[in-house]
Amino acid sequence: MVLKLFGSPQSKPTLRVAHILKEKQVPFEFIVIDSSAKEHKSPEYLKKQPFGQIPYTDDDGFILFETRAICKYVAAKWRDQGSPLLPDHNDLKATALFDQALSIEYSNFDPIVIEILMEKMYKAKFLGQEPDQAKLAASMEKLGGKLEGYEAILSKQKYLAGDNVTLADLFHLALGSMLAEVADIQLLSDKTKYPNVARWWADISSRSAWLEVQNGI
Amino acid sequence: MVLKIHGVPKFAYTQIVLVVLKETNAPYELITVDWINKEHKTPAYLEKHPFGQYPYMDDDGFILHETSAIVKYIATKYRASGTALAPDPSNLKATVLFDQAWSVQASDFSPYAGGIVMERLGKPFHGSQPDEQAVQQHITNLENKLNGYEAILGKQSYLAGDNLTAADLAHLPLGTLIGELDVKSLEDPTRRPNVARWWNDISNRPAWKEVLSISDA
Repeated sequence: MVLKLFGSPQSKPTLRVAHILKEKQVPFEFIVIDSSAKEHKSPEYLKKQPFGQIPYTDDDGFILFETRAICKYVAAKWRDQGSPLLPDHNDLKATALFDQALSIEYSNFDPIVIEILMEKMYKAKFLGQEPDQAKLAASMEKLGGKLEGYEAILSKQKYLAGDNVTLADLFHLALGSMLAEVADIQLLSDKTKYPNVARWWADISSRSAWLEVQNGI
Repeated sequence: MVLKIHGVPKFAYTQIVLVVLKETNAPYELITVDWINKEHKTPAYLEKHPFGQYPYMDDDGFILHETSAIVKYIATKYRASGTALAPDPSNLKATVLFDQAWSVQASDFSPYAGGIVMERLGKPFHGSQPDEQAVQQHITNLENKLNGYEAILGKQSYLAGDNLTAADLAHLPLGTLIGELDVKSLEDPTRRPNVARWWNDISNRPAWKEVLSISDA
């Protein structure tokens, strides 16, 4: 039975999973959850995803949520298709450096980008509110500080976990791409300020599987 | 050379590493970072930890930062010597269920518990007043997520399955702090009996009591 992805075409977390499925050339069935009708809060849905969040997957009865866990499952199960995207689980140090890179994205990038997008886009679009300029400025400064850390790492190695691209790099795309697209923030492509970050960003954002899901899941 | 942890024993992320070290009987040396004097922002420190945070690990020259990576490395390396706190890496489903549980802690617990701590402890430390409205919002959000925990823990003993893992222990520092700040959501058996059972179990483990006594010293 083919893997089922329960999600929403507008949901960036759903997009993240769909991207990795495409990278690994894994066939899947996309079942659209109607979030405007609060389908993800129904008792049926909560039996599968107890936090009422989107997306989740069902691989022949094996239910999984949290997009990064789903993506690790896909990358590990279909290791031999497409790019590896993660190290051999028997290599303790390579696995640790991969886990370190995953955490960098999750702790040092994702929450700050969410703060920025909240002010630059979400508030106006969904709440009819003006951005809080002081908060925005503080978040932008934080992002700049973090990108200096990224620059230091990427000046010594090609990707965040070493010299091979992994999920940790690709996880930045779903929200990172919105900085330029909706918030007109070009920091990730700024060759003068962060040349290695710019090199890395150009590399990962031009991957064909990513470009493919941008046109629809 | 014994594994070294550079951290601050009374702070949450160092405490997570310490409890895992104690549960697994891993030999270690704790080196306290002079955070008050901003040691973690010096060029020498940034060479080891590019984001200037704590803790980081030095295992005989193998440098690792990010708490989740350090914890998984220790749990895997010392799997046979104490409590097994992560699944066998060759068991894919168990491993991703562990990843799912760790991600639940990071997305559905720590931001809200951390927010409460930041308001009621962090702000006064820096000389400002807690925003009690923000505290109430964090409590509301936390309790909403704990409904998800209640559902999961009604079917299995721990967050990743029927065995304790580091994903459960990762709740201990912030969970303990919010209890001390009079937020009893984890402990109240009348509202969420399974959460209370689980919390009572993990917070009374001797290894955690030892970490608290180090932190108080």
